[in-house]
Amino acid sequence: MSQSLKPYLTAVRHSLTAAVSLEDFASQVAERHNDPEIESQRTPEVLLNPMVISRNENEKVLIESSINSVRVSIKIKQSDEIEHILVHKFTRFLTGRAEQFFILRRAPIAGYDLSFLITNLHTDQLMKAKLVDFIIEFMEDVDKEISEMKLFLNARARFVAEAYLTPFD
Amino acid sequence: MASTNPAVIMGDGTGLTKLGFAGNDAPSFVFPTAIASRSTTSGKSSAQPVFGGNAGSTTSANNNLASKRGMEDLDFYIGDEALKAANGPNYSLSYPIKHGQIENWDHMERFWENSIFKYLRCEPEDHYFLMTEPPLNPPENRENVAEIMFESFNCAGLYIAVQAVLALAASWTSSKVQDRSLTGTVIDSGDGVTHVIPVAEGYVIGSAIKNIPIAGRDITMFIQQMLRERGELDSSLRTAEKIKQEFSYVCPDIVKEFRKFDNDSEKFAQFIVENESKTSKKIIDVGYERFLAPEIFFSPEIANSDFLTPLPVIVDQVIQQSPIDVRKGLYKNIVLSGGSTMFKDFGRRLQRDIRDIVKERITDSEKLSHAKSSGVDVNVISHRRQRNAVWFGGSLLAQTSEFKAYCHTKADYDEYGPNIVRNFSLFSVP
Amino acid sequence: MLNLESSNLSLEKTLRELFTTEKSVSIDRIVSDFDNTLFHISTPDPAEKTKIVLSIFLKCYNDLVKYGDVDSYLRNAYNDSQWYTVLDQPEDGYNFSIFIDLQQISTTVLASPEEMESLIAKLSLLKRNALAAPFDVAFKRYDVLAQEAAVKNVDLYVPEENSEEATSVINYREDETIYIRPSHDRVTVIFTALFKDETDKIFGNVFLQEFVDARKRSIQNAPQVLFSPYEPPLELRGLPEFQNFNYGQQSATSKYDKGFVTFVLFPRHLVPQKRENTITQIQLFRTYFHYHIKASKAYLHSRMRKRVLEYLKILNRAKPDQEEKDIERKTASGRRFVQRI
Repeated sequence: MSQSLKPYLTAVRHSLTAAVSLEDFASQVAERHNDPEIESQRTPEVLLNPMVISRNENEKVLIESSINSVRVSIKIKQSDEIEHILVHKFTRFLTGRAEQFFILRRAPIAGYDLSFLITNLHTDQLMKAKLVDFIIEFMEDVDKEISEMKLFLNARARFVAEAYLTPFD
Repeated sequence: MASTNPAVIMGDGTGLTKLGFAGNDAPSFVFPTAIASRSTTSGKSSAQPVFGGNAGSTTSANNNLASKRGMEDLDFYIGDEALKAANGPNYSLSYPIKHGQIENWDHMERFWENSIFKYLRCEPEDHYFLMTEPPLNPPENRENVAEIMFESFNCAGLYIAVQAVLALAASWTSSKVQDRSLTGTVIDSGDGVTHVIPVAEGYVIGSAIKNIPIAGRDITMFIQQMLRERGELDSSLRTAEKIKQEFSYVCPDIVKEFRKFDNDSEKFAQFIVENESKTSKKIIDVGYERFLAPEIFFSPEIANSDFLTPLPVIVDQVIQQSPIDVRKGLYKNIVLSGGSTMFKDFGRRLQRDIRDIVKERITDSEKLSHAKSSGVDVNVISHRRQRNAVWFGGSLLAQTSEFKAYCHTKADYDEYGPNIVRNFSLFSVP
Repeated sequence: MLNLESSNLSLEKTLRELFTTEKSVSIDRIVSDFDNTLFHISTPDPAEKTKIVLSIFLKCYNDLVKYGDVDSYLRNAYNDSQWYTVLDQPEDGYNFSIFIDLQQISTTVLASPEEMESLIAKLSLLKRNALAAPFDVAFKRYDVLAQEAAVKNVDLYVPEENSEEATSVINYREDETIYIRPSHDRVTVIFTALFKDETDKIFGNVFLQEFVDARKRSIQNAPQVLFSPYEPPLELRGLPEFQNFNYGQQSATSKYDKGFVTFVLFPRHLVPQKRENTITQIQLFRTYFHYHIKASKAYLHSRMRKRVLEYLKILNRAKPDQEEKDIERKTASGRRFVQRI
């Protein structure tokens, strides 16, 4: 793990742990509704100030919290167009399976690659510390995965090109 | 010029895959849905001489992925070649489809990759694809199929059809069929299991489907057992299978058939087994198993003590469980599909037995209600394309000019995402 | 599967079945091949089931006729056997037809499996041979030019200025073209690289870069490969379709929104004993290239599936342990604590 990644992840971990303090909250706007306030945005007094933790302009995390829900959006490092397309493919693959990842949002917030939505229902059923662990581990792993995919692509391309050109001789 | 390219029909079943082009009367390839890939345990070091070590993957979880960085994913065989390769030390065989549904998507994706590029030799960007799925396939599986077909292979267009519906369409070639409806009961019997599937206007009535654990393999085993009991010279599974294919038929009445055999020795047949170099011959007598083997569909008690309901009764139960307004249509159009329905007179016997059951019920209800019934038509349809009925039905539909309009295209997929394939509009009858 | 075959497996199998089955059946089957190619195997006369016609349709057949005189090339290639004859008038809708009479074959050829296999192999290479015609013409033209150059004692290291030499233009796929240009010291083969999909385009660029670098790095004897992402190479400047092209003006919205892959075949690839191999190999470039883009996408999919499973495992750690009430408990004597109602 590189030197600057660790403090970055530590900052995200602490902010997330603080942000995921959720309670059941019935909607004040519509009777018998109980929706994630951060998504509906209809009750300004229960929304907290959003927070951006940024490692550099390509890598940042947006944490938007409210009384009963937290939205975490991640921007994954993309240094060139290959990484861009790989990140795009990977996040689409994940969001396509959002059903299995109960906290994954099907569409990311504009400007980010992947968003999670944690509500009080999740924190009731799941252990909060482990949820935070999951997000941190995901962030740690995803960069590695993207760069491994990129390495694979280059290696494969090289092999394929050589295999094609060798029989000419 | 894309219009000249024929659509590709891929029918992937639990046992066999059928590949071919629309417009043909038979699939170009029929081979086991098997893939032999390089086993990960053996030859790890020799398998990746080109891209050995790599940095940054020290955790044990990553080692597995990293070792795959080489070209192992291109080193595999499918179909008959897979069976051959699996005899060697370096490959392990797997069947990606279990009980009709795709279980191993990695293997399936590579299976398709090889099917398309090696066997069918078509650039998927130029062709439309018709794929088949079992009844009650979860929509997620459809999405996964679309994800593979569109994202990996960029296929031009995709239609996913339910096997039973295609089998119905295949029966249109029979002269017995007057109106080309998509209502009927499909009896699909392959090697492992037999399904009875009611279809109303192109939609499968899922709640009424029944499976019977009697199919081709059981018949072969039954023949083998009879050969063994008699002490024939050769009672291998292969011989039993040959006898099943060449000599078996369905008789109208077992008792009479036994008597016929006893009075007329002509009925007995002989089967000659040659070894590979054709040097030695073994003569096998074929006796009562000629008609007894297929009989296990109609009198299962002769072979098996676990399952005792005859096929005609099951068919009747299935139709009785379907909504009342389609039952007449279901009785009228009972369609056979799959290799184990190919026995001579199978359709005729089935039709007679179901008719008897229906007639009994009608007389009972007439007695109770004192009203005259208008009668129920029972028709079992057998036709020449029965063996590959599902594939052939696909070929029939995909060669129509309307077919492409019913497909989802790559552009649709890119715009709406994988869930677009949850719905396909049904073919209107051409 | 790393390399693609140039023979058609499906055609091979169909022919083998026809040759070996004892009962002759009427057949009417289409078989496809890469680059909009179509084969048709049929018994045109239902009464005579042993008389088989094998036809091929190629999208670029007119170009092949124009630049390769493919008709006589194929006739020449397929006149070596008495077991089949080329039809003077190809089947309707197809470009080239071969007639095979099973009756003749079955008596003689089938006795020796080797002969049958070589016959099948030859027939299943029909597409490869058709597409070989313009290459053959270009290579022969190279022979002539090379000889002239030797007579005139041209310095081989001076790039020739003579751009009069005709370029063959084979539109082998919709919007995709092979250009073949012979000269006195080389034959240049240029493929257009067109990607319908954005991902393919980026992956394709990675692959092509490696094709370009491969020669520098390890395989010195391979043909030189050049890749130009959107500018047509100078060899093609003379063609009418590129006459109005503004060189040096980078624009993604250009009308010529495709790349160009140039293969420079040197004399060492054009010696007679390597010629056929070179043709076989270069023909398959586009298919091979796209196949591998797709295969690597398939691999990435399986990688991502693995990842998803791993992430799910991590996420599932967040679930509290199964409540113990589900577990059935027994006493030492085997009695259960279940209340019977």
